[in-house]
Amino acid sequence: MMLNFFDQFASQSLLGIPLIAIAMLVPWLLFPSPYKRWLNNRLITFQYWFISRATNQLMLPLNINAHKWALILVALLLFLITLNLLGLLPYTFTPTTQLSMNMALAVPLWLATVLIGMRNQPTHSMAHLLPEGTPTLLIPILIIIETISLFIRPLALGVRLTANLTAGHLLIQLISTATFVMLSFMPTIAMLTFIVLALLTLLEIAVAMIQAYVFVLLLSLYLQENV
Amino acid sequence: MPQLNPDPWFIILIFTWTVFLTILPNKITFYKIPNEPLNSDPLGSNMDTWSWPWY
Repeated sequence: MMLNFFDQFASQSLLGIPLIAIAMLVPWLLFPSPYKRWLNNRLITFQYWFISRATNQLMLPLNINAHKWALILVALLLFLITLNLLGLLPYTFTPTTQLSMNMALAVPLWLATVLIGMRNQPTHSMAHLLPEGTPTLLIPILIIIETISLFIRPLALGVRLTANLTAGHLLIQLISTATFVMLSFMPTIAMLTFIVLALLTLLEIAVAMIQAYVFVLLLSLYLQENV
Repeated sequence: MPQLNPDPWFIILIFTWTVFLTILPNKITFYKIPNEPLNSDPLGSNMDTWSWPWY
């Protein structure tokens, strides 16, 4: 059977163990628990710095009620950044390319923010459906549009992450295949393509981190609207 | 596109949330920030200069 470029994203299994299970369980070995000592080693200090600064930055625009979400939002950030970055290594499987996983994360969390808003302050949450200062004639249409945009949010969250990572991995595979094929008969062009590949890999590293951050940031904004 | 294969969707959902709710908060709560950030006195607290010898 001929492999096409999309087959890298099919949920693989090795010896009956789905690779997604390994890909989601093993990365946490890279995060050792801190010792009960005054000074830890560099890795733990770096992760501690990252987590505490990330918590600070994420909680800055949120009011005090939203600070209950600090743990889950930072856990989500760490989850996505680790999975995205590790997926850039060769021969690894990126679980965040699976739409099922990203929707599994996006829909419940978005729904939680909406339900919290509807339950605790229903008038205030409903008020977000109509921006201030709209002309009277536009009100019905705008409410419909805002409702549609509200319901599209979880879809957009999930699909954004999936599409960015899938597209990135696909591009890397395409360009590396091109470089490899051209190496024998057009080596100069192959070198140029290789430089493109190197730049693309740098971009992908950035995209991996940015997409994780965007996901969590948008969730925190939806939370801020509703809390 | 193989991602649209609905077969492992539910199990991926369950597995993701299991990992996300069990392993990660443990890893993060280990990084406890030791001191509560105090609201500092805007006038500056009245502190004397260091008057005892360095050892």
